[in-house]
Amino acid sequence: MPTMTDLLHSPIHDRHVALGAKMADFGGWSMPIEYPGGGVVAEHTAVRERVGIFDVSHLGKARVSGPGAADFVNRCLTNDLRRIGPGRAQYTMCCTETGGVVDDLIQYLRSDDDVFLIPNAANTARVVELLAAAAPEGLVVENLHDRYGVIAVQGPSSDAVLRRLGLPVDHDYMSFVETEWEGLPVIVCRTGYTGERGYEIVPPWEVAGSVWDELVAAVSGHGGLPCGLGARDTLRTEMGYPLHGNDLSLDITPVMAGAAWAVGWDKPAFWGKDALTAERAAKQSRLMRGLVASGRGIPRSHCEVKDAAGTVVGEVTSGTFSPTRKQGIALALLDRSVTLGDEVVVDVRGREVPATVSKPPFVEVGVRER
Amino acid sequence: MSDLDYPAGLRYTAEHEWVRADGEVLRVGITSFAQEALGDVVYVSLPAVGDTVAAGDTCGEVESTKSVSDLYAPVSGEVTAVNGALDATPELVNSDPYGEGWMYEIRPADAGAADALLDVDAYTSQLS
Repeated sequence: MPTMTDLLHSPIHDRHVALGAKMADFGGWSMPIEYPGGGVVAEHTAVRERVGIFDVSHLGKARVSGPGAADFVNRCLTNDLRRIGPGRAQYTMCCTETGGVVDDLIQYLRSDDDVFLIPNAANTARVVELLAAAAPEGLVVENLHDRYGVIAVQGPSSDAVLRRLGLPVDHDYMSFVETEWEGLPVIVCRTGYTGERGYEIVPPWEVAGSVWDELVAAVSGHGGLPCGLGARDTLRTEMGYPLHGNDLSLDITPVMAGAAWAVGWDKPAFWGKDALTAERAAKQSRLMRGLVASGRGIPRSHCEVKDAAGTVVGEVTSGTFSPTRKQGIALALLDRSVTLGDEVVVDVRGREVPATVSKPPFVEVGVRER
Repeated sequence: MSDLDYPAGLRYTAEHEWVRADGEVLRVGITSFAQEALGDVVYVSLPAVGDTVAAGDTCGEVESTKSVSDLYAPVSGEVTAVNGALDATPELVNSDPYGEGWMYEIRPADAGAADALLDVDAYTSQLS
């Protein structure tokens, strides 16, 4: 466990400290959990009802460029880049040959010869290492972790906030526009991890602070808040979005995690294809389901899940309090004998919390709205 | 921490609970420090009225969006009241930890038991 002084700092770190944010270690980076005057519930609600901004500069940035870069990435990562065109982004995974998930990431297709990647903080070096080792002559794989910041603007008022900054808005879900900020190139992508309409802005490291400052001013005019990674976690859990390390891992495959939609099964090759194809056909592995606690209590990761007879049928991978529903919600890997609507019991530190098996998302949201 | 307060008239425990003498009973809650560290409190699980607890026993839980903490009985005795308002409004623990956010009351087996707990100076000196 590194001490706080060993942790990496985002380009916006000094702003968080000045705001009095509670900071914590996220993948080796010291990042804000919540801000004074906000708190997880208020920040969560701001995003669902108005708008919130998140510094997620701990996320990795990497680039694969050179002749045939997109084809190369498409032979490695799970999703099918041929399903999208330039200017579009796509959720994908980097798997091992045995089907475990090294990381889940967003790939931005700039052209056939240029793919920008946003992996998770703790896995960026490994993803870059694997791609670099596999890359043919002529392709360049760069780790750009400390060359860009990433700021997410999320919530129904996101467009108004970006307009105040003169940034492009209203492009399609999962598409991006490249523009400029203080004369430097900035990517504005219609993506996020909250389920709300929103954008992720990728500015060069040196101007991330000035983008943040203007966003702080802009959101305050719309009842918005700077939001920490605590709210980001409750928001993503309400959507059933997986978090690598909890709901996806070297032991939790895309088949188990319900992420088969992000696998290009028809592609000639991607890492893990044989193992995942066999696992998918065997229909034996546990599956990711949602749980809604019907009693008091919050399921937490690693809590055992039991059926009515008391037999262990699975394990919680992520659990939290849903600020929107005001009850405990969870993602859990469950045996295939358990089906939607079943009543189960979660062992929460020795206390039995009843829960209903359900299909996420746990809330109604407008992420794809035009 | 400078904006958190620790009333001088209370007794404290190393587990960040406060105790206020109120006639024959002691009222128990968690400190500013504890509620700030937990973040938004979303569930409070309290002992039942009539429960007999021994000092140091786990007798409840305080749960926030991100974590859970046990409540420990500060002294031995019998639980005489619990704050039912926390069922519907657990956020009182954050907004008013020494007032409306109190947790439960206990009649100590030993009337002087609270005197052995930390005073405000002893408690705050261990926070830094």
